[in-house]
Amino acid sequence: MIEILDVSLPIISFVLFSLLTIPVVKAMRKRKGMKTVLTLGWFSTVFIIAAIPIANLAIKYYEHPSPQPFLNITLTSEPLAIFSSTFMIDAMSIYMAIIFTIVGAVTFLYSIFYINLSERPSERYYSVMLIIIGCIIGTAFSGDLLTLFIFWEASAAGSSFLMLYRKTPSSLHATLKYLVMIIIASAFIVYGLSIVYGITGTLNFWAVKQALIALEDKHLLVTAFIFIAAGYAIEAAVVPFHMWLPDAYTAAPASSSAFLSALIDQGSYYVLLRVLIYILTPPTVLEWTVMLAVFSALTMIVGNLLALAQENVKRLIANVCIADVGYNLVAITSVTPLGIMGNLYFFLIGGITTALSFMALGILNRMGFETLEDFSGVGRRMPFTSLALLLGVFSFAGVPPLAGFIAKYLVFTSAIEANLSWLAVIGVLTSIIQAAYLLRLINYMYAKTPQEETKIKEPKKLLVPIFILVAAIIILGVYPTIVLNLIEPVIQQLPFIP
Amino acid sequence: MQNILLLTLLLPTLAVLVVYLTGKKSAKTAAILVALIALADIALLSTTVPVVLESAEHKYVESYYWIPVLGSSFTLFVDGISLSMAIITLILILVAALFSVNYMQKKKGLAEYYALLTLLFIGLVGVFITSNLMLFYFCWELMLVPSYFIIGGWGYKEPYRAAFKFFIFTHAGAVFVLLGIGAIFMVTGDLDMFQAQDLLMAAQPDLVKWILLSLTAGFAVKMAVVPVHMWLPDAHSEAPAPMSALLSGVIIGAGAYAILRVSLGTVFPAVAVIATDFGNQFLHGLAVFGVISAFFGSLIALVENDIKRVIAYSSIAHMGYVLFGLSLFPFQEPVTGTALTGTVLHLVNHSVSKGLLFLSAGAVMKQLGIRDIREMGGLAGQMPVTATASTTSALSIGGVPPFACFISEFLIFVGAFQTINNDSFYLLPTALMLVATVLSLAYALRYIRHIFLGPTKLKRAKDAPFFMKCAMTILMVFVIVLGIWPAFFLDLINTVSFV
Repeated sequence: MIEILDVSLPIISFVLFSLLTIPVVKAMRKRKGMKTVLTLGWFSTVFIIAAIPIANLAIKYYEHPSPQPFLNITLTSEPLAIFSSTFMIDAMSIYMAIIFTIVGAVTFLYSIFYINLSERPSERYYSVMLIIIGCIIGTAFSGDLLTLFIFWEASAAGSSFLMLYRKTPSSLHATLKYLVMIIIASAFIVYGLSIVYGITGTLNFWAVKQALIALEDKHLLVTAFIFIAAGYAIEAAVVPFHMWLPDAYTAAPASSSAFLSALIDQGSYYVLLRVLIYILTPPTVLEWTVMLAVFSALTMIVGNLLALAQENVKRLIANVCIADVGYNLVAITSVTPLGIMGNLYFFLIGGITTALSFMALGILNRMGFETLEDFSGVGRRMPFTSLALLLGVFSFAGVPPLAGFIAKYLVFTSAIEANLSWLAVIGVLTSIIQAAYLLRLINYMYAKTPQEETKIKEPKKLLVPIFILVAAIIILGVYPTIVLNLIEPVIQQLPFIP
Repeated sequence: MQNILLLTLLLPTLAVLVVYLTGKKSAKTAAILVALIALADIALLSTTVPVVLESAEHKYVESYYWIPVLGSSFTLFVDGISLSMAIITLILILVAALFSVNYMQKKKGLAEYYALLTLLFIGLVGVFITSNLMLFYFCWELMLVPSYFIIGGWGYKEPYRAAFKFFIFTHAGAVFVLLGIGAIFMVTGDLDMFQAQDLLMAAQPDLVKWILLSLTAGFAVKMAVVPVHMWLPDAHSEAPAPMSALLSGVIIGAGAYAILRVSLGTVFPAVAVIATDFGNQFLHGLAVFGVISAFFGSLIALVENDIKRVIAYSSIAHMGYVLFGLSLFPFQEPVTGTALTGTVLHLVNHSVSKGLLFLSAGAVMKQLGIRDIREMGGLAGQMPVTATASTTSALSIGGVPPFACFISEFLIFVGAFQTINNDSFYLLPTALMLVATVLSLAYALRYIRHIFLGPTKLKRAKDAPFFMKCAMTILMVFVIVLGIWPAFFLDLINTVSFV
């Protein structure tokens, strides 16, 4: 039986280690020669210790399959239960926790090396990152709307520290923009939640859902839905609320952009998915598919068109992230098992691919290559970094055998299955645009002649995490069954949604 | 042996890295390695010939565990058609690799070139020997990416421009194919071509119509049917000669094969059952586009002066014949009529003939350094082997007996006349097609006359070096032998029946 401790242990361990990190890393810094080895050792210990309870949870969960696949775990017993935090474990939250930990660990590895390159590396950076990973795993395990809100806002707000790290005027500006958006979003969500609580008298996922199905007059619910959906849409950067994303990702250091796009972005899709599919399930609770379909079409079109117009490569990739939101929304909109599968696969692959691209861009940006023009002939001067970026870019464009292809295939197929063929066609057309501008980048990298021919020495340490992710997109592209088998239990649980 | 086909695919896959590392030391060794792998694959595939010819189902199938959730297993199969296409593809790869030894000499980055060629190899062979649509799409796109870099990295003039055009056009086609494949999965839950064929019968007529159109449109881009042919003249003429030979010989042929196998083989039976009128209109449409392509390609080839663009436009014309042939066979009684045999045989014959024509054009360009055919002339005496190769292939393209393409064009026309009995619509297209063959002979003769006959305008042109001669001679033998004795491929193709 899964106890409250099993669930909270991963979160607690991440938060605890985050607090310990500051003194420990500070102490390590004093020992000159051993600095890197010690830091690496410390953080691998952290991740291994935190991974054990997650693995334990997964094993416990799958060892005793219960007829009711959702486990609700409350802190206090009955009468006060509605005020207490609830955790919920199902196949989806376990899947999300696993990918958050693994992808988090790889991006973390990159950050260790990348931040150490700056003049005065700060140990607070690591600490914030660990807290965020803990909170985002908490988001995956939440079982009521308030817990979800708290954990999610903590990780979203925490990420502003990662953006701010360089303290340049542009990053200050971008962070401010992000914070304002986040605050507006959380105000919307709180307002929406209070309405929901008013209607139903509870915030627990299943209790809310049962109450809402029985609801006769849905006017108030629509208002609540608009507030909640708008709030989460702002955080997921759905067009027209996308303006903060390119600024934030461009101004942040590469390690932050990689981390944000791999974890926070995917976390925001997860929240959207959880709230829309599991609580406001159409058509029994609320019919929102048409509205969301329009927004997803808009996001795909605008995201890709914006990327088409970019000269700065990092901004271009940031705009690809917006387009990815659109593709994710297509799958959410379809409300089919295939769509959910596509979503969950896309969370992982989209995260890995964007993280990989931002990491490679981090190396290139450090050498002073910023715009497309600067990228001329970079393919010959920095072959390994360029190869990684090239594969990432082809994965975005959905070229097999890279993993992005399977993700896009699932998304488009789910749209056809849900009788939204027009959305699939828009998705396909925009992905042609995507191929065009991404190929333009490749054209610059490989076709144009550089101003100088000299080879540039590539930092080998930074290439290690990058090529771990490259291997991941190739392996998951050729043999996606590894991950799809993890996702399958989620699909089998869907009919159980009460 | 149980894993012949898997081995056929694994061999080039594992070889990519080896070829790259060998290429770093000696480009020549790498080229010969690629040729040897192609030879080994030919040997592997030929062990399946007896199975295909003699077994009851005329098929050889291997299946491995892959992505069960998406209704996909790693199914490799050969029947007569795919075996013919795969063997001819391998022969062209072998020849292209040999030809590259001399042709690519003194160019930079040859290790990458041969590694990309090996990568292309996987896609080219894989497309023909799988019956799983997902795997098919994998290989379909795997043809695209290495081609892009080969055209871009080692082409002429503004190669990346041509390569960009090629990539965007064919990728745009491919995403529509993907849409079609997704829809097939959604309707049937199975991505095996043969399973899906039966399951589609139960689907909604409207959806199946759209699947058919989307797939065919996507494949037609690769096949360079007018009006989606725009990428072809640029890509074919800017690419290095061995790549042009592969592009024109195999890649556009793969488009035709895909229309035959997926559009007409998997989806069309369902359309023919549930929407007969639409099915007829669809086939008539294919015939019309075939005629347009044939005329358009031939007419431009008649007036074009760039040595490779002439050949490139002739490819468009020949894909017109193939499309016309494809539109015929579902009308025939019995279904395995002459039209199908003729069309597939034409794909095979066109591959070798056009491959040879591109290689010999490459030899001319390499030795002379010019590409306008008006500046050439009288080269027959100076470059005897190249001249013979060019003449053989050009006459084959022009449909002159006893060279390869004559037989297959003849069979297509026999099929067409048989079909006119059942469907009078075909009267006019067939007549027009006959006119187009005259045009194709005209541009073939013009090509030979301008380059090899007449007064000598250029002094001291030397014949091609050893490996180029070798490559051309191999293909020359095939062009002549296939013209006189087509029985091997005819037997193979005749085992296939589309019911």
